This record gives sequence, structure tokens and C-alpha cells, in this order.
Amino acid sequence: MNDLLAKAGGGTDQTEALPFPSLDVLHKACGAIPRTRDMTAALERFFLDVKDPVKFVLDPLTQPLSWALRNAIDVMQSLPWWAAILILVAVAQFAGRRVGVTVFVLASFLVLAFIDHFGYAMQTLAIILVCTVICVLFGVPIGIAMSRSDRMERWLTPFLDMLQTLPTFVYLIPLIFLFSITEPKLYGIAIILYAIVPSIRLTNLGIRLVDRDVLEAADAFGMTSRQKLYRVELPLALPNIMAGINQTIMLSLSMVVIASLVSAPGLGTLVLRGINKLELGVGLVAGLGIVLLAVILDRVSRAALQRVNKMHQPRA
Amino acid sequence: MVARAKAGMHKKDMLKDHGHVLGLRDINVEIKKGEITVIMGLSGSGKSTLIRHLNRLIDPTAGEVIVNGTDIMKLDRAQLLQLRRTQMSMVFQKFALLPHETVLKNTGMACSVRGEDRVKTDETARKWLARIGLAGAEQMYPHQLSGGMQQRVGLARALTSNSELMLMDEAYSALDPLIRSSMQDLLLELQKDLQKTVVFITHDLDEALKLADHLVILKDGEIVQQGEPQNILLNPADPYIEDFVSDINRARVLRVRSVMETTGTDDDGYEVLEGDENLEQAILRSGGAADKAFAVHSEGKRVGTLRMTDVLKALVPSAARNPTAF
Repeated sequence: MNDLLAKAGGGTDQTEALPFPSLDVLHKACGAIPRTRDMTAALERFFLDVKDPVKFVLDPLTQPLSWALRNAIDVMQSLPWWAAILILVAVAQFAGRRVGVTVFVLASFLVLAFIDHFGYAMQTLAIILVCTVICVLFGVPIGIAMSRSDRMERWLTPFLDMLQTLPTFVYLIPLIFLFSITEPKLYGIAIILYAIVPSIRLTNLGIRLVDRDVLEAADAFGMTSRQKLYRVELPLALPNIMAGINQTIMLSLSMVVIASLVSAPGLGTLVLRGINKLELGVGLVAGLGIVLLAVILDRVSRAALQRVNKMHQPRA
Repeated sequence: MVARAKAGMHKKDMLKDHGHVLGLRDINVEIKKGEITVIMGLSGSGKSTLIRHLNRLIDPTAGEVIVNGTDIMKLDRAQLLQLRRTQMSMVFQKFALLPHETVLKNTGMACSVRGEDRVKTDETARKWLARIGLAGAEQMYPHQLSGGMQQRVGLARALTSNSELMLMDEAYSALDPLIRSSMQDLLLELQKDLQKTVVFITHDLDEALKLADHLVILKDGEIVQQGEPQNILLNPADPYIEDFVSDINRARVLRVRSVMETTGTDDDGYEVLEGDENLEQAILRSGGAADKAFAVHSEGKRVGTLRMTDVLKALVPSAARNPTAF
């Protein structure tokens, strides 16, 4: 028994004696081999080197985003409270056509206003609105392109996977290098990169799932590919696309809280204050406000989705 | 592979030895204007592939498809679209209607694809919907209709396109027997007025015999026999077809004119029977008497004589093919 134990112990000893040939270990043996910290430093240096040319290109391209975010926030905040609530309730009714949901939206906003969180909620909502519109504007066409080409799907999928699994804070790091922290586009880009993924994926999926028989009929009657897209593929994929938009909205909301680290206004700043100053009450109430906002956005977009689904009910 | 197929390699050998599936080989069918050509075969015989070659939803590996004198294999994309829009329409087994558009819009699909005036399209669509018995359903959605009604919409869609050639791919196979039968009657009735050129695919021999002016029987991607259905029934070309037609109610399918003798043009005092009537009618009229004979008329003229002995022989497949067996 002792022998066996000694043998087992000996085994672990041996692995310690033979270290894994990592960069740091190899550096000890030969100074020409860089250490791990040299590698990360090199990555940082590389990033600093390319920063200026990248910024030169990206800055003007993303300027409209800053403009849109700034204006949206301004407009939402400058509206008198009753007008803002009226518009929001009207939008909820138009999109969902469900009285219960609309009443819930009205009650939620009244509660938010009553506890003096209405302004913050409006800022958050403005950011989500702008980012979602941009996500749909880019995500749907990218999804269509992806559904057309298997090769594009193969190349884009790992990239989309990465965007979704990368820890949300990591988005912010390179962006902080690129743009000034006072600019709204900094958090705008982070939110869009994170939230655009479901729009792309579900548009792609929706179009790929369109009934082969219906597509064949479209071909047999001589539809051009454009006619097929607008008359068959997009309408039949609409339930999936709407589900993607619902997901996009929810992801923007979750990202907008983290984006408050880089000066995104709204309810997230209150949560951040709660964490930084250990103001438990402030953080909790703001957090619950975000939940309320999430429920509103989810219910309204889901009601809209169900309305579309009803029209698309498969044959009985 | 094309060369091997042309050399006559069998489908099974080709799949086994080379991993290629032989779809169709040596298909020469003349589809006559204004007739219903029925292409019949069991599953895997290549009938759906064949009908898709006609509008190039599937391109054949080799060969020609000649429509009104032009080889459509030589058309470019734009010309092909034009051909599909104007000269052909198609009815599908699974209806393939647009689920988000109303019955009216679905019916007018071919016209709206061609970019025709909306008001006029709706008017034409309404007319055809009324013709096939769906007036009043214009504003409904396909999922609100039963299978039979959906296929009526499919048929109306094909008719509204006003194309000369109608391709029907197992159009009635998904319907239940009663509805199928009424849809067959509808097609025959429409055909009397419209005289479209119809290519009808089916795996159901009864349906094929009921509809066909010209019947093509496919097996393993090759034509086993083609011709007038009555003729195929009376003279099956090989044991496969003989086997195939053995379950048919011959008295109901065979017509008097196919069994009669073309002699006896003068009036010999027999009772008159129409040439298009089936043998069941003849047996009924004879009252079971095997020695009776009828004068067969077609369009008011005497065309032949029907002897009940011939009728009885025609009812037994092997006797019909080989009359000396009796």
C-alpha cells in the first residue's frame, strides 16, 4: 500500500519536475522567447498603432450614430410627461392591439413617473429605440444575404457566436481606445454589436425555413428573385424575423445597463451608483425599473409577433 | 454517366456501381395541344421529375424539351421566366398557396407576377373563382379553407394565368376520394370548354384512366407503354402493365367503341348504343343475355357493332389480349 502511495506521489512529483512548456517557462531558458505579458503588451501596442487609421475611417462612419442617440435622448426628455406617456401607450396599442398589454404599459409608466424614475427610463428607452432600429436596418439584410449563400453562413456563424459569447465588458475595451468616452456612439456600437446577432440569425433561419413547395410554385409562375423575396420569403419568414427583433430589443436592454460604465445615461447609471456607493435601495429600485421596462418591451413586441403569427397560421 | 445511361444501363446497376440515380431515360412523349396527357407511375418512377423538366424547375442532364417548336433548354434566364409566366401554369400536390395572401390575391398571382393591372387581375380572378365554385371565398385566407377548396384555388390560380399549358403534379393525390372524384369531374368539365393542354401526373390508375386522352406509363425512369388508355387496357405491352391493370373495374373503364367490330354499317335492326358509353351500360342494356348485339352510334352515325361475347371477353384481361384463348 505504501509502495502504491509512494508511486502515486512520485507521479505528481514527476509532473512538477517537467513543467508545461509555456511562454514564461521557455523565457527562463532562453531570453529571446517572449513572456506571456510581452504578448499581451504587443497586442496592446498593435492596437494603439492601428488605432489612428481605424479611427480615421470609423469616426465619420459612426458619427450619425452619435447624432441619432443624442437627439433621441434629447427628444424623449424634452417631451412633457403626459405627451410621452400618451405616445408610448399609443405605440403599444398600435403594435400589439391588445388592451391588457396597453393598460399594463400605461400603469408601468405611471409607476415609474410616480417614483421619479421616468426621465431615466426615457433615456434608456431612447437608446434602445435607436439601437434596435439600426440592428434591424443592418441585421435583416445581412440575414437575407446569409440565407442566400451557404458559404457566407459558414463564415459568419462563428463570428456571430463570438459576438454573443464574448463577455459584455470585453466589447467596451477596444471601443474605449477608439472613441472618446463622452461620445454616445461608444456605447451605441457596443449595444448594436451585441444585440444585432438574433436579428441576423433569425432572418437567416426564417428565410431558410420557407416552405419549399411555395417557393417552387413561385418559380413555376416565373417570379424573379426580387419578387420571390418580397412576396414569398420575407412575408413567410416574418414570424421568425419578429422573434429576432424581440430578442434584439431584450439584448439591447441588458447591454444598456453595462454600457452605463461608459457614460450611457438612463436607469443603468442608477444601478452603477448603487454598486459604486453601496446604495442598496437606489440600485434595487433602478434594477426593478429595468425589469419593468423589459417586461413592457417584451410584452408589446410579443403581442405584435402573435398578431403576425395569427395571420400566418399554418394550414389546419 | 450520360453515355452509360444512353447505352441502356439499368437504374439499379447504375446506383449500385456508380452511386448515381438515374432519373429518366429515353423519354419521348408528344403532348398534343388541347388534350389531357396523363403520366402515370409508382413512386420513384420519375414522373415528378419529368413534369419539372417541362418548365425547367429541374434541368435535365441531356436532351431537348420542345414547346411550340422552341427548345426550352436553350432559353436564357429572362426567356425562361417569360415562358413560365405566359405559357405555363402549374398545380401542386401540396397546393403551395401563399398563406399570407387572400384567396383572391393567390388566384391572381400569375397576373400580378406579370405586372398586370390590379383591378383587371382581381376581376379575372373573381371570374375564375366563381367558375370553379368558390365565389364568396375571395377574402378568406388559405388556412381557412379545406384541402379540396385550397386545391380549387390552386386550379383557379393556374386558370387565371391564362396559359395554354397546364402542368398538374399529383394535383389530387392529397385529397380524399370523394373530393378527388369531384375535382376530376371539374377538370373534365372545364376541359370541354377550354381545351387546355394538360399534363397530369398521378400514381392512381383509376384517375389516369378517367382523365387521360393520352396515357404514358413510367417505370424506373423509362416509358413502358404509351397510347390511348383503352388501347393500353386491351393490349398491355408487357406483364408489368398487365399486372397493373388487372385490378381495374374494366366494365366501367372500357368503352363500347373500343370493343366493337367496325363492321355492319347498314341498319340491321339492333338496339342503338352510344360509342362513348362503357361496357357496364352495355351489360345493363343487354339484360345479361350473352348472345345479344348492339348497333353502335357516334354523333348520330352508325360506326360499328357490339357483340356481347366480345364484351365478356374484354372483361378478362388475358382473354382481351389473346382472343383465341377461348
